[in-house]
Amino acid sequence: MSEKRFTLQPVEWKPWLELVDVATATPEQLAAIDAAPAGSHSSPYVLTLLHDLASLQERSPLFNSAMYAPRGLPRAERELSTVIASMVNGCIYCASVHSRRFADLTKKPETMQGLFDGGLEAELEPRLRAIADFAERLSRSPHRMTATDLAPLREAGLDDLQILDLIHATAMFANANRLMQTLGESVPPQES
Amino acid sequence: MSEIDADVIDEIAGLELGSRLAELRRQRAEVFRHAQGSHDVLLLPQDAGGVSRAERAAIALRVALAAKDEKLAAHYRSLLRSAGGERLIAAVEHPSSGDASAKLAALLRHTDLVADAPRRATAADLRRLEALGLTSRDIVAVSQLVAFVSFQTRLLAGLRILQEEGA
Repeated sequence: MSEKRFTLQPVEWKPWLELVDVATATPEQLAAIDAAPAGSHSSPYVLTLLHDLASLQERSPLFNSAMYAPRGLPRAERELSTVIASMVNGCIYCASVHSRRFADLTKKPETMQGLFDGGLEAELEPRLRAIADFAERLSRSPHRMTATDLAPLREAGLDDLQILDLIHATAMFANANRLMQTLGESVPPQES
Repeated sequence: MSEIDADVIDEIAGLELGSRLAELRRQRAEVFRHAQGSHDVLLLPQDAGGVSRAERAAIALRVALAAKDEKLAAHYRSLLRSAGGERLIAAVEHPSSGDASAKLAALLRHTDLVADAPRRATAADLRRLEALGLTSRDIVAVSQLVAFVSFQTRLLAGLRILQEEGA
């Protein structure tokens, strides 16, 4: 992990493809921009994905439901799982965005800073530790997982729907981390 | 019992209609619907552009094999055959066999990069695909496809262990 400088500071994302031009976008493309996940509407990322309209039209509601569907796993815990996935996969931009969402929801930025400073083994309260360990294993080596990986989640009190939400959010970031890092790059804040 | 028919994930995971996990998945109807929708637009697009249906199935097969997901691989092998790509199976399964065209070899190299080492990708990787004639749309579609199958392998692993737990 040490070569990656994960941060709670805002990180820019630099695209590697020319962006779709909003000024000449079709009505379908404009609708797809509006339907993109909160905070990303006219971002370089969405204007990159817009090159393939049909897949963006499916991915946005998939992402929104995985992250924001009501009830089930609390939103902050979904955000934690996406930060863990992003650390495993090395996506500085994704980790920045979603660590700040976690901090906004919980008012506990120190939990995220602890992960960035101490790595994936940093101290977490037991329920968050169970979620983080599961997200790490699912991100890193899904084929090696067994039912015993569920035991800590059950001990922490997660029910079936909450575990499905955890799987969906973590899987969504197997997706997001790959798009983000292969269609452009994170531009971290300059070191002072 | 909910009335949403089985999708590709149900079939691959072996979830019977009306079973506990099939019903659980249907509590997240939008994830269910758009996971299938993503599959369909990426693997069976109306207009495939510069990456054919067979090439798309080959890419998906490669991701499933690298993730050691045999059931998902069987699904994409079958799609590849349906798309008339039987002869591509060897190239996907044995990359060093030399059976792949220059374009397919480049697509599979890029697939491995996106699936297994996304942090090592650079802008030069996209310039190489462009040099082979791929458009921005083709490149985004390939990334979306590899990223989507990476989503599927995690979802399937999660469902598999939930099944094991309940067995």
